[in-house]
Amino acid sequence: MRPRAWAALLLLGLTGLGLPVLAAGTTAERFREANELVRGGDYPKGIALYEELAASGAECGSLYWNWAQAASARGDQGEALWALLRARELDPSDRAVLRDLERLREGTNLDRAEVAPDPLAGLARFARRYRLDAVALVLLLVSLGAHLGLRLWPAARGLGPTAATALVLGLLAAAAPVAGSLAWPTGAVVRRGAPLLDAASPTAEALGTLREGEVVPILETSGDYLRVEDSSGARGWALTRDVRRVTGPYR
Amino acid sequence: MKAQTGILALLVLGGAPAGHAAEGVLRSDVDARKIGLQDQVQLTVTVEGGGSLPDEVPPPAFTNLKLVGGPAVSTQMSFVNGRVSQSRSWTYVLQPLAVGRAEVGPVRAKLGAGEETAPAIPIEVVAGSVKPQAQARRPTDPFGEDPFESFFGRRQTRRVEPRLLVEASPSRQSLYVGEPLRLTYYLYTQATVSDLQFTEAPQYAGFWVEDLERPERPAGEAATVEGVSYRRFPILVKLLFPTRAGRLTIPAATLKIALPRQGFFDNGAVVQRSTRPITVEAKPIPDQPGFSGAVGRFRATAAVDHPTLALGEAATLRFRVEGSGNLKWIDRAPQVSVPGAKVYPPQTKSDLKTEPSGISGSRTWEFVVVPQTTGTVEIPSLAFTYFDPSTERVSRTETAPLPLRVEAGTSAAGVAPALAAPAVVRPGGPLPLRADLDPPSALGVALPGRQMALLAGVVLLLHGGMWSATRLVGWRRSSAGRVAAPRSVRAALRDLERVGRDGMSKEAAAGLIEKTLHDLFGSTDAEESERARSVHRLLEEVQLLRYAPQLGDYSEKVRELAGKASEVVRRWA
Repeated sequence: MRPRAWAALLLLGLTGLGLPVLAAGTTAERFREANELVRGGDYPKGIALYEELAASGAECGSLYWNWAQAASARGDQGEALWALLRARELDPSDRAVLRDLERLREGTNLDRAEVAPDPLAGLARFARRYRLDAVALVLLLVSLGAHLGLRLWPAARGLGPTAATALVLGLLAAAAPVAGSLAWPTGAVVRRGAPLLDAASPTAEALGTLREGEVVPILETSGDYLRVEDSSGARGWALTRDVRRVTGPYR
Repeated sequence: MKAQTGILALLVLGGAPAGHAAEGVLRSDVDARKIGLQDQVQLTVTVEGGGSLPDEVPPPAFTNLKLVGGPAVSTQMSFVNGRVSQSRSWTYVLQPLAVGRAEVGPVRAKLGAGEETAPAIPIEVVAGSVKPQAQARRPTDPFGEDPFESFFGRRQTRRVEPRLLVEASPSRQSLYVGEPLRLTYYLYTQATVSDLQFTEAPQYAGFWVEDLERPERPAGEAATVEGVSYRRFPILVKLLFPTRAGRLTIPAATLKIALPRQGFFDNGAVVQRSTRPITVEAKPIPDQPGFSGAVGRFRATAAVDHPTLALGEAATLRFRVEGSGNLKWIDRAPQVSVPGAKVYPPQTKSDLKTEPSGISGSRTWEFVVVPQTTGTVEIPSLAFTYFDPSTERVSRTETAPLPLRVEAGTSAAGVAPALAAPAVVRPGGPLPLRADLDPPSALGVALPGRQMALLAGVVLLLHGGMWSATRLVGWRRSSAGRVAAPRSVRAALRDLERVGRDGMSKEAAAGLIEKTLHDLFGSTDAEESERARSVHRLLEEVQLLRYAPQLGDYSEKVRELAGKASEVVRRWA
């Protein structure tokens, strides 16, 4: 191979190694830049930067926490509540998020059921908070190992009960995340007076109005519209800019 | 109806003729101005006054009429607020002579120092009969007829039905949609009225209706209708605004009027009178983009409470429209869009007063404006369009742009405006922002539910597979004649471990080993395999031990046999 080719290969390798590091540095800098904008009172620009970071995949509890603070200071309670819900989804054990979420819910006069319409979603969060998936995985592997040992050494004491107990506990632990995954995806109403439409069409007529901050199950998606059901049981379509997803990917 | 009763009480007390009693009034009246040749007409000449009344009044001249009855004389006297008033009337019955024009001539009478004259009354005579037959008996009269009539052999003078009229009078009959129309209901009366009420509430289809305050003591005024003098009282005033263009009709309203008792055997009377329907022409107003629907004359002003404020604070923008017109209808707030600031939906305040000329006052929309950048934020000019009936075109009134200076005050920055977001107001200070992004979780990403279900399924399958495989091997061994269930093997090994412990005798130990081997392998007498030979050899040794004489310590031997038995079990079971 020619020296030039070697040099190009080396450069490519270095670039490949360095890019993630550079990207991480850029993301952190952009986050701090957004924080400075928000501290200076320029909420729209700060929120735009947070949004950019979330869209680039840098989603985390801190990002949504700061987003919620900025939205709240701007007076957008629905957006603040959505950001906190999103932060809770990413880190269900963050007590500060839970506290602020409760305060905001009370402030906006929303009932608990209006921000938690599906109990299975709560079960999924519980499973994530206590990492029941990892617990289940370990227990199931232990049960398999014990069972295998029992087959290899029939006279070995305690292997049978160990395998059975670990299997039962592992299945129980696995049931929570599995049941949680059956929950409807949800979205939060981020705009005051967001209309509930009778069709997923620009010419659709409004059936009613959604409450700002209310969390609604997303039943169906069609282009820029989401089919949702509000707390009164009314079903209709809402614009994606009015109802943002709480669960699932940001985009 | 309470207010109406109040009005009527006043009418009772005031009494229509009372105002004229001191001077004296002379009236002449006929019960019909158009009669048939076969009809009769009744002429009543009335004198009212506070002093002495003439005993007689000369009858007027009659043209084309013949006197066929009368005069019947009746006198009334009343004491009201310490004042005496009285009236006397002479009633004549006349018969027309020929088809054509007839006339009751002017009546003249001396009242006090002067002479009064009642004008002549023209009457039209047509062929046949046009007058209704005798009126039905009043249902409220329990006697129906005078009970003393037959006793005394003469008719008493019956109540002469008083002259009463009601009228609905509009202030105008052509106007624009949204313009006010004042509709006044008048009572014309020559007699005292004790009660008055609508038989049904008046209907005003096509109008927005506003009630006007009625005076506590309505003042009567003299009025003449078709040559007859009355006292006229306004009894109800409404302000009507047409809501649609076209010919709108205000239907007739019927009033029930109660008259007081006039004597011992008189129970009073209730008569009904109706207004005439009224037709009003409502002209359309031009429909232009942005037209508010207001009709009248208005002026708009705007002001902010804090022209200078810190970033994060809120200012209140007040947009006020004042003037006279249908402002009460106007609910739509102007669109306010301020670049660099968030504007919240307004609250509306009204200070409106309904007057006979229309509705006047002001309406104010209050917007909360929260600047989001520092510097000068300009609230743009706000416009209000309305239709001016005096110029018959849509006019526009605008406010001047308002500058809002926003300073970068750190104390307020980040604090949510109290009006807009009371729920999240923090006690002050900077926002509790987190400095850095969260590091990735050490445990990695949580397993999605589906993958977890799949994993659990796989684990269950593996468990099942292992269990089945063991069963399968056991079954094969069984079919090869060397089966022992895993559970039996484990139990046998455990039993063999107990052999020789806890001071067990050699007989008991031998018996336990023998039983364990029998339980596990069954009878192997017919077998010629290595396994059967091993078991037989072991059993022979066990039996030797069992029946050996007790000459020494066999514990070592017992442990040796138990070990051998365990090996046989492990190997062959």
